Formats: sequence, structure tokens, C-alpha cells
Amino acid sequence: MKSNFLKLVLPAFAILLAVGLAFATEDKTILQIAHYYDTVDQEWKSATAEEGCGEDGENPCLYDGYQLYSAPNFGSIQLHKE
Amino acid sequence: MKLFHIHKNNVVVAIAILYIILFVYTASSKLMHLGVFRLRLERMPYIAPYAQWISWGIPFLELVIAGLLLFHGYRLIGLYGSLVLMLLFTGYIIAVLQFSNSIPCSCGGVVSALGWKDHILLNISFMILALLGILWSKKQNNIQATQKSVQ
Repeated sequence: MKSNFLKLVLPAFAILLAVGLAFATEDKTILQIAHYYDTVDQEWKSATAEEGCGEDGENPCLYDGYQLYSAPNFGSIQLHKE
Repeated sequence: MKLFHIHKNNVVVAIAILYIILFVYTASSKLMHLGVFRLRLERMPYIAPYAQWISWGIPFLELVIAGLLLFHGYRLIGLYGSLVLMLLFTGYIIAVLQFSNSIPCSCGGVVSALGWKDHILLNISFMILALLGILWSKKQNNIQATQKSVQ
């Protein structure tokens, strides 16, 4: 009985606990640094992205009117938020 | 003496359970926000070109090791895997911190809220646990092998 508890119940409980914790502590992900191309200075600059900016969402994440990107190149991900 | 071995066995199981919780938790958190995890990896020094592969590889590896730790027969391999993974993580953090102390953490869940020092401390604690687990598992395997050869 004790052996079964150690072999089956406890690991199963651990997995459930871990997955549950992952969902429970899910927060709005904050992207710290994003990039935009400054058309006036014609160079890539870095900025802090808003909370909730990521690859999903309908509204573009902007900084000073410029579209934010995940990396300083146009091939990277355009950041959006819900 | 036998009671002592039983307790050691329980401690190894407890260490394995702790690792299972850690790896399943961080892997789930990463997989839930895979895009963001990849974005963070793309900003990390050295590994940025491999972000796409690493973003899938690390959660996969964590889940495989958690799976190995589940079964008594594979627990020792799982503990070795855990120790190697933790060593890699910690080594990478320390190497990167030589250049900058403002690197975005690409770890999963609440672990990403830890500071770098706390993160290294957490990793070292888990590495010590893995080492203890390996030592005790080996001793236990040796005892079982001796008992079998005597029988």
C-alpha cells in the first residue's frame, strides 16, 4: 500500500500540482525590450514594450507611433496585444 | 541500518518528486507562452540564433527528464539528466552575467520573477539535491546488487 503510494499516487499528484501551479501563476507576460525603426533617424531603436505585448492580439503595440518588433529587423515578430 | 536505507530511499523519491514538480511546472509555463519564451531567447547572448530550436528543446527535455524520474528503474539517469541540465543553466547564467546584469530571464513561471542571484541559489540548491539523490541511489543499487549476489 505504502509502496503504491510512493510509486503511483505521489508522482501523479506532483505532476497535477505542477501543471495546476503553472496555470495558477500564469500572469500577463511583460516584454521588457522591444525594437522599432525610427524613420527620421533611419536606425533601429529599443523601447520598453507595454504589458501584454506579444505575438498574439489584434492591436499593434506602438512606441511613439512606430510599430514595435521583437528584434531589430523587419523579419522579426510584430508585437500585438489583445 | 535497514531503517536508515528505507529513509534514504524515501529522500531520493522526495528529491525526484521535487524535480518533477520543478520541470513539469517550468515546461508547462514555457509551452503556454511559447512565442514569448522564443522572443526572450532571441534576446539572449550566444543562443539567439538557435532560439527556435531551444524554445521547443528545453521544455521537451524537461518533460523527458521528469518522465525518467517517475520510474524507479530510470530514476538515476533522470537525476544525472537533472544535474547536467541545471549545470548548463547555471553555467550559462554565470557566463552571461560576466557581460551584463540586465538580461531578460527566459525561465518559466514565477521562477522568472527571481533575481539572478536568487536564481543561481535556487539552481545550486537543486544541484546539491540531485547530487545527494545520485549518491544515495547508487549506494542503494550497490546494496541491492550485493544482496542479489549473496542470494
